[in-house]
Amino acid sequence: MNGNVIQAANVTKVYNKGGGGEVYAVHDVSLEIGKSEYVAIMGASGSGKSTLMNILGCLDKPTSGSLKLDGVEVSTLNDEELATIRNRKIGFVFQSFNLLARTNALENVELPLIYSDRSDITRLAREALVSVGLADRLHHNPGELSGGQQQRVAIARALVTDPEIIFADEPTGNLDSKSSLEIMTLFQQLNEKGRTIVLVTHEADIAAYAHRIIKIADGKIISDERNPEPRVAEPEINTLVAQEAAHETK
Amino acid sequence: MKQSRALKVAFKGLGKNKLRTFLMMIGIVIGITALTLIVSAGMGAQNRIMERVKKFGLDSMMVFAGGGREMGQPTSGLPAPSLKLEDAVALKREIRAVADVAPFNRKGQAEVKFQEKSVTTSVFGVTPSWAPVWDWDAAEGDFISEEDLTSLARICIIGPTVQKELFGTAEAIGETIRIGNVQFEIKGIMQAKGTSPGGGDMDNRIYIPLSTLLRRVMNVDHISGVKIRFKTAKDMSKTAADIKALLRERHQLASGVPDDFTVTTPTEVTNMAKKVAGTFNIFLALIAAISLITGGVVVANIMLISVNERRKEIGLRKAVGAKRKDIMLQFLYEATAVTLTGGVIGIVLGAIGAKILETVTQMPTAISWEIVALGIVFSSLVGVVAGLQPAKRAASLQPIEAMRA
Ligand SMILES: Nc1ncnc2c1ncn2[C@@H]1O[C@H](COP(=O)(O)OP(=O)(O)OP(=O)(O)O)[C@@H](O)[C@H]1O
Ligand SMILES: [Mg+2]
Repeated sequence: MNGNVIQAANVTKVYNKGGGGEVYAVHDVSLEIGKSEYVAIMGASGSGKSTLMNILGCLDKPTSGSLKLDGVEVSTLNDEELATIRNRKIGFVFQSFNLLARTNALENVELPLIYSDRSDITRLAREALVSVGLADRLHHNPGELSGGQQQRVAIARALVTDPEIIFADEPTGNLDSKSSLEIMTLFQQLNEKGRTIVLVTHEADIAAYAHRIIKIADGKIISDERNPEPRVAEPEINTLVAQEAAHETK
Repeated sequence: MKQSRALKVAFKGLGKNKLRTFLMMIGIVIGITALTLIVSAGMGAQNRIMERVKKFGLDSMMVFAGGGREMGQPTSGLPAPSLKLEDAVALKREIRAVADVAPFNRKGQAEVKFQEKSVTTSVFGVTPSWAPVWDWDAAEGDFISEEDLTSLARICIIGPTVQKELFGTAEAIGETIRIGNVQFEIKGIMQAKGTSPGGGDMDNRIYIPLSTLLRRVMNVDHISGVKIRFKTAKDMSKTAADIKALLRERHQLASGVPDDFTVTTPTEVTNMAKKVAGTFNIFLALIAAISLITGGVVVANIMLISVNERRKEIGLRKAVGAKRKDIMLQFLYEATAVTLTGGVIGIVLGAIGAKILETVTQMPTAISWEIVALGIVFSSLVGVVAGLQPAKRAASLQPIEAMRA
């Protein structure tokens, strides 16, 4: 086994349009992502970022091509086996948070655990929420939390099963700049602890936090480069707070 | 996924949308309430009949004078003079299965006097075998003896009601009362029996020797009926046929001529009552079933809408690792929990309704574990059937649904 957690070879996803036409949402993509990498997938709207991420995260199946996660070929697995892979190896963070309504933070974070064979689910969920800084919001429902806090609950939910890879599709898309920075700080900390992160975004300044940037257009990779100088989110929060304070005193 | 967790998920899902849950439940509650009420009323009626038949004795039957009578209830008016004391004697002598016979005649609306007081009561002429055949003896003093019978004795045994009305708390035994113009000495007081199936007071009676009644009071030679007690409760229908044949022969009835007597067996009474109650019950149970089916359709519909509304939730659950089976069970449990809860509420409401019905209409009702089990089985069944299609649809949704806006 090599150090790659994701190995995709010639992955294609074709959608049939009405009238017989075909859309290649992902077109013959091959890529490898190593353990503990922090990768941003960038591209314009409609370029196929989400489709690619969904395939890599086993939410969706490719029309053709091969995909290995942790060395295991997953393109031939059935739905039930894929469910197990998603449960054990993968955590998702969505743009629209996707928390269960009228369900408190703790229970939202417990969700992946109830489909696992873990028994200490409440303890694990509490720990995950503490690690994203929500120790004092355990029993709040999504409606009682800010957007940034909701996204942190969602990150706790992605983390709680201790997955190999975290996929995030536009995680800051619905957030203000300060909340966005907090989320990017969290991702950075997770990556420093060795977690593989795949971040989908169309914004260059969000992609700039990643260590590697893969650009796609029309379902194809057009560039795949190391980010020589990744941005660091944490100190930027302080700068932002200082700026806001200065603005208010004026 | 553990079953306890799956159940918890289902109950939480129901708790999140209480109005939806309530709407799903209401039809089931109505259906099961109706079902419980109907079955308990049916069972109550049946129990009452069985009780009466048991009281009468499963090893006994009645022969009444006169043909074409139903259900063993005494007819109004005079009985046909077709049945004789000798018939009763012949039955005991010639039918092997007969253990004993209790022939009787009866004078209704007789005026009975003690000093200045008088009451209207029924006077029964009976033989000493009345006591063992009916399981009904004197509580104080003695019952009629063989000697009383042969000597046409002018003695009587009075029922507790008669005792109370004529004597109050004073001693009655040994006193003399007048039935019509004939004087009778009170020899005993009967055991209390309470109300008869027909609603009459069985304690408002006076018993005198049958021979005395026939010769001294009524001046007739026929009896109104005879209760027959058998050695065993087996082969009753065959014995009934033998009895009919013997009586027809004794009455010299040519074939084609209808019976001039009526034989009533407890099985006949039970079957007849069951048939009447059964038809009625099937009709009502059908109504309950229809309302239950309607309730089930409502559950299925609301569940389908719910699955559609919750595509994103289902997708999310699948995205984080839920399997087909987990989602399937979640929705099946939701449907079944709703109908089962509705069922339990329905059983309780039905039981309360049955009690109210009983006090208001005097109709007997009965709640048994069978009714509770029936309600639980039916309501869960409706839940499983109604939930199946929505659950299948939910389970077949793809995890990618979580991504849709
Ligand atoms: N279910 C589908 N059926 C048909 N076409 C689809 C489907 N999903 C995506 N597509 C098409 O595939 C292409 C890629 O879509 P995708 O959602 O992956 O883009 P994206 O890069 O994530 O865009 P955005 O930044 O707007 O989220 C688009 O042209 C889209 O219309
Ligand atoms: Mg997208």
